[in-house]
Amino acid sequence: IACDGDGGSVRRASCFFPRFPTGMSLIPRAAPAASMAFAGRDPAVISLLKMLPLLLLLTFSSAAAPPAAASPSAVHNNNWAVLVCTSRFWFNYRHMANTLSLYRTVKRLGIPDERIILMLADDMACNPRNNYPAQVFNNENHQLNLYGDNVEVDYRGYEVTVENFLRVLTGRHESAVPRSKRLLSDEGSHILLYMTGHGGDEFLKFQDNEELQSHDLADAVKQMKEKHRFKELLIMVDTCQAATLFSQLQSPGVLAIGSSMKGENSYSHHLDSDIGVSVVDRFTFHTLAFFEKLNMYSNASLNSLFNSYDPSMLLSTAYYRMDLYKRALNEVPVTNFFGSVMKTIHTDSAYTGFLAAHDAELPLSVGNNILDHVMLQNEASARRSNIEEMNEAQLMSHGWTEVLLEQLEGKNSDVVVMYGLGTMGILLAISTWLSM
Amino acid sequence: MEPSAKVDTQPKPRLIVRLGIFLASHHILFSALCCSAGIIALLFLPSLAKNTYLSENALIPGSANPLFSSEDVTEANKFIKGIEAAAGESRGGMEMSKFIVQQMKDLGAEVCYHEFLPHSKHFHPLKFFTSMTNDLAVRPNGTYSNSGTNTIGIIRAPRGDGKEAIVLVTPYNPQRVQANEVLSLALGFSVFSLLSRAAWLSKDIVWLSADSQFGEYTAVSAWLNQYHNPMFVGGVKHEPDGIAEKAEFTDFKRAGTMAAALIFKVGETRNYGDRDSVTMYAEASNGQMPNLDLLNVVHYLAVHRQGFRVNIETISSLLSSAWLRAIAEVIHTLGSILRKINPDWKLDITASDYVEGTANLASSIYNQALGVPTGSHGAFRDYQVDAVSLEFSPTFYIRNENAKSSFLVRGGRSVLTGLLQA
Repeated sequence: IACDGDGGSVRRASCFFPRFPTGMSLIPRAAPAASMAFAGRDPAVISLLKMLPLLLLLTFSSAAAPPAAASPSAVHNNNWAVLVCTSRFWFNYRHMANTLSLYRTVKRLGIPDERIILMLADDMACNPRNNYPAQVFNNENHQLNLYGDNVEVDYRGYEVTVENFLRVLTGRHESAVPRSKRLLSDEGSHILLYMTGHGGDEFLKFQDNEELQSHDLADAVKQMKEKHRFKELLIMVDTCQAATLFSQLQSPGVLAIGSSMKGENSYSHHLDSDIGVSVVDRFTFHTLAFFEKLNMYSNASLNSLFNSYDPSMLLSTAYYRMDLYKRALNEVPVTNFFGSVMKTIHTDSAYTGFLAAHDAELPLSVGNNILDHVMLQNEASARRSNIEEMNEAQLMSHGWTEVLLEQLEGKNSDVVVMYGLGTMGILLAISTWLSM
Repeated sequence: MEPSAKVDTQPKPRLIVRLGIFLASHHILFSALCCSAGIIALLFLPSLAKNTYLSENALIPGSANPLFSSEDVTEANKFIKGIEAAAGESRGGMEMSKFIVQQMKDLGAEVCYHEFLPHSKHFHPLKFFTSMTNDLAVRPNGTYSNSGTNTIGIIRAPRGDGKEAIVLVTPYNPQRVQANEVLSLALGFSVFSLLSRAAWLSKDIVWLSADSQFGEYTAVSAWLNQYHNPMFVGGVKHEPDGIAEKAEFTDFKRAGTMAAALIFKVGETRNYGDRDSVTMYAEASNGQMPNLDLLNVVHYLAVHRQGFRVNIETISSLLSSAWLRAIAEVIHTLGSILRKINPDWKLDITASDYVEGTANLASSIYNQALGVPTGSHGAFRDYQVDAVSLEFSPTFYIRNENAKSSFLVRGGRSVLTGLLQA
């Protein structure tokens, strides 16, 4: 199996290439270079001298980058929505109306267009059979035009294919795909994935000529988890036999709800005789009925959403899968997925460089600044005369501990760190000179 | 080892060869057996046939409002008066078609005339080898007095892409105008006028008023021939008959690929009985049938929405035959026995339904086997266009005004909702 980077084939498993150099991968790559450089000298002393600044660099880098390594404890900081309608033709008007209704709800509760990926397989609003051109309704009272202003469709018509859908989920696009068509989530994202159309036992039909299988969906979710593309994922499916579509999922942090179980059909809600077709499905209708009562500040929980589905009204059993989801459903507000409510942290002052001794973010900025300093110092010291440095090195190797203790007494840790990094930089310069 | 063992009879032939020899030697028995099995299976067929299932995923007939109202009926009545007046002063039958053309132009449709000659009686054996599929024999004298004239009106869908069309055909005989033909023309006109005002059309609509003086089939097949295989008669011009406006309508106009066709006419009053009825004819040439969903939609709409009774042609002698009734009773008892054994095995059909079903089946098989189309929808089937003929049979006296109006409403509605599915 070839280990693909991004942009490879969507169906093969990917190997995980870490983006940030963690401690483990750095040492093996650095050591051979060091040993090669010091081939002609006394290997033991010189390699030890080389190791010391490397070790120091190592500890500081790992101290400076805690958030990158620890993904389970990542903070939830953005919400994404991927809304997919997979059917075309006029008599599937209701699937389009379903998706557009969810789009409207999700936007109303706060997710902006740049974090919504809307995939509509056909154009109902401008279909010649539409008696109300450029308008899409989900109710026969025609009170709400879902296709009014501010509808941004990312994938339309024949672009909605299984391949594009899986590319969106896994993030493996061609390089020319614009940012508005990519799911740019990170490990702090909560993603809502809503799919509607015609489905069956372990599949979902796309565009009347292909199918998305449940194991493909599970594979895509597994890839997303490996790449840390989501913190939590809610999959909502409104098709016939919807619960079979997520039966193969195994990634943690995924919650899924389907409108019907295996062997059951999902039904449309009502027929609009003016337009001539059914305009909404039962499951989505009741979901919307739940959400129309909420606004951005509500803290209704997912539990109340799931309990609001009544099998006698839906004419099917809404089944949800919570075995992969660790949190209790009555503690999770629906706006965690369907809206976008940010937790704001109030700081007293704006960031003013590395002099303010406050929160956890500051060592990162301090570390970055000092690393920059080190770079500059390297360049500066390389220009000095070699003899001077050598003398300095010999001097410092004797009185090193006394000098250090002196410095440590009355100063705070930042200054000590500065001194330490400065010393390390000098050592680095020396070793570079010695290798020449 | 004994050499006698080697002296053996011929090795036995393979099983399948032996089976073939057995069959061939008793061929009379097996032929009789297979024929009787076939006939028994045919006799069982009406009881085993299930009701048509209309999948709600694809086809929801009657889900839209047909919008056919009494104003359309008034318009139709005006049309009837106009056309009767035109028929009265008709010379050579041209007045009626001119009147129709004028009405269609007023609606804003594109109009054209199509002249055709009847099929010549001569058989040209070489016709099959040349590309001359057109029967139009050009007379050297240039007399077109005994040609038929079809009138065609085309409504373009306002927001459609203009690639497909649905055809409505109303045949009439301009030489001998009858009241029921006038009614069918009025029905066609009212449907056409409603569709000209519809914003939800996705396909173009073509209305063909076929001149059936040489036979309905001839007219429709000549038009279809010109539509699909145009013959350009270069240099032959019409004598200007003194009718100036005819010249602008002689260019043959087309509307794209035909998706479906509906031929409807109002027949003679059948029985002054309970319900108006519609008779559907579906068999086309060489035993072809249209997409049976078309028949299902028409049946569903006519019966459930408009209260018509739908008939399919039957062999009426079978309806009253005693032995068929006896077979029906046998099957009925067999069905009840089977149901006692296993409730899933169903053969339940009442005796009268069985008899009628068998008569329908027999008539359909006969027509398909014969290969002669039962109406002008057969001409459409030659070009792979699904078509069905509907004959509305009113139960009222044809001159009765009120009954006419309600009949028009219902007929128009059923045609319209059938079209909306397309």
